[in-house]
Amino acid sequence: MTMLSPEADGALAPIREALRSAADEEASELREAARQQVIALLADSREQAALIVAAAVKDGEAAARSEAALRSSRVRREANELVLAQRSRLLQELRQQLRTRALTLQHDQRYPALVNALTQHCLDLLGAAASVSMSPDGGVIGEAGARRLDLSLPILAGMTLESMPEARELWNL
Amino acid sequence: MMDLRGASPGQGEAAAPAPAVRFAPQVSHGDIRELRGPLLVVGGVHGVGWDEFATVDMARGECRHGLVLEVDHDLATLQVLESTDGMSLEGIRIRFDGRPLHVQVGTEWLGRVCNGRGEPLDGGPPVTGTATLPVSGWPLNPVYRDPPQEPVLTGISVIDGLATLVRGQKLPIFSVPGLPHLTLATQIAAQATAGGQTFRVVFAAMGLTHADIAYVRDRLEERSAGGELTLLLNAADDPVIERILTPRIALTIAEHLAYTEGHDVLVIMSDMTSYAEAVREVSAARREIPARRGYPGYLYSDLATLYERCGRVKGRDGSVTIVPVLTMPGGDITHPVPDLTGYITEGQIVLSQDVAARGIYPPVDVLSSLSRLMRSGAGKGRTREDHLDVAAQVLAALARARQATELAELVGEAALSETDRSYIKYRTLVEEGLFDQGRDEVRSLADTLDRAWAALAALPKQELTMLSTALLEKYLPKGDDGE
Repeated sequence: MTMLSPEADGALAPIREALRSAADEEASELREAARQQVIALLADSREQAALIVAAAVKDGEAAARSEAALRSSRVRREANELVLAQRSRLLQELRQQLRTRALTLQHDQRYPALVNALTQHCLDLLGAAASVSMSPDGGVIGEAGARRLDLSLPILAGMTLESMPEARELWNL
Repeated sequence: MMDLRGASPGQGEAAAPAPAVRFAPQVSHGDIRELRGPLLVVGGVHGVGWDEFATVDMARGECRHGLVLEVDHDLATLQVLESTDGMSLEGIRIRFDGRPLHVQVGTEWLGRVCNGRGEPLDGGPPVTGTATLPVSGWPLNPVYRDPPQEPVLTGISVIDGLATLVRGQKLPIFSVPGLPHLTLATQIAAQATAGGQTFRVVFAAMGLTHADIAYVRDRLEERSAGGELTLLLNAADDPVIERILTPRIALTIAEHLAYTEGHDVLVIMSDMTSYAEAVREVSAARREIPARRGYPGYLYSDLATLYERCGRVKGRDGSVTIVPVLTMPGGDITHPVPDLTGYITEGQIVLSQDVAARGIYPPVDVLSSLSRLMRSGAGKGRTREDHLDVAAQVLAALARARQATELAELVGEAALSETDRSYIKYRTLVEEGLFDQGRDEVRSLADTLDRAWAALAALPKQELTMLSTALLEKYLPKGDDGE
């Protein structure tokens, strides 16, 4: 292996120095570029992270608002349904009382006249050939072939209630 | 008071409060000849008419209801609303009402949730009212109509800004299965208002699944609890004949709220395709001759009898505005239901799968959508002076942006002119800033128009040819450089 002469070392020193200096400079530039790239990447990442967080917060808030509104709506609905169910019970109670009171009409002194009137009504609607019998609930039931007219007292009471719009105030209080 | 007898939807109310009529005892008929599917044939009847309503009394005290589909000599064929399940020929008695279905109308409907024939689903007592009216409505003399006017604001930018709904208008939503038309319909029902007027909503759901019905109830609960909304819910598994009654009951309630109580009423009917299928099914049961795609030949006039019940009436404060929702099978706009609807209504809002695929809600295809009466409800003195011009400019620019986008797909965006690139940027801005909106988000009209201006600012000023210099000076946002 051939070695350089000691004089050559001295002559090459400036070249070595220049090469080292150039390498140092390039390394420095690379470091600086990398540093700038890191800074840019970090800034970009932070920006993206901030956008993602903001979007997530917005979505989360919207979802929470929807959920809260939904829960509140459902609770209100349940409360409203309780009120409506109570009104239904009142109406049922009213119908039941009406039916009970209608049955007692059979003991009223005007009942025979009422039966006569109802019988006549049956004959008017179904024809003179219709058969009219007493209803077990009071009142009469007329029949002519397949046609039938139910004028029993609870039926008449129910129809009377339906024909009185002002009665709804009793259960809509 | 103006005499509207024979002309006004409210004319029957004062004349005959019908509860008294119902008091007349009804002869029942027990000669049941046949039970066939949902149909019941009864013999020995006289004086019964088509579409007459009837009550079916069953042996154990249960009560069902029916509608007369056909009368042949002394035979009447009824469709039972609650179906004939569990019925036998013995022990059934039919009582005919002597008239088509009537409903009691009044403010008690507000806040209530009922099925498609108006019976409570909310556990409450039957809804009563101050008058009883036929669900088929009264024919309205055309000379008593006032043209639609003033806007109904939905809080949804794409509708308020570009296809403004007007009081008394009928504006359908055309959609395809799978798109969020129900979300949009409920959002309109939950948010709509008419400046300063008392606003009420009647939502008629037809043929919806139970999951969709639960969704509708949740979305509209707030307005319902506030006593501003009536919900009529006909499920997909409810009898089809009930589906035919649902929109008629909804409109009867709405007409009373509008023309007697003086409210502005919005009626949303979803889904009208499901309704039309019910009409087809009943027509087949009546053995009528089918026309296009099996629908009866009278589908046009049948739809018209519903849609034409909207409007305003001279001398009355309120209005009835209708937003029907239609799903077009296979996206086919020539299908009889959207086709015939389009003849009757005043514009349309079209939902598009392409727009939905880009993640935009509501997925409205604005270039296919139109409110024909927008000029009667928008602009100076109604909404804002710049409204109509901005809407026209937004649409024109969007049409150009669509061309630029297609060109960019062919030659690449880099090869486009600066102006074309600005149109592509505008399209992104207008879609993200104006069209895309939260499903619960309410936007004021000023916010909507400001968003439109913000998107238009992406275009060179010389491209904004539909906007006057004065409007540009007043509303166009200034760039960073003051331009």
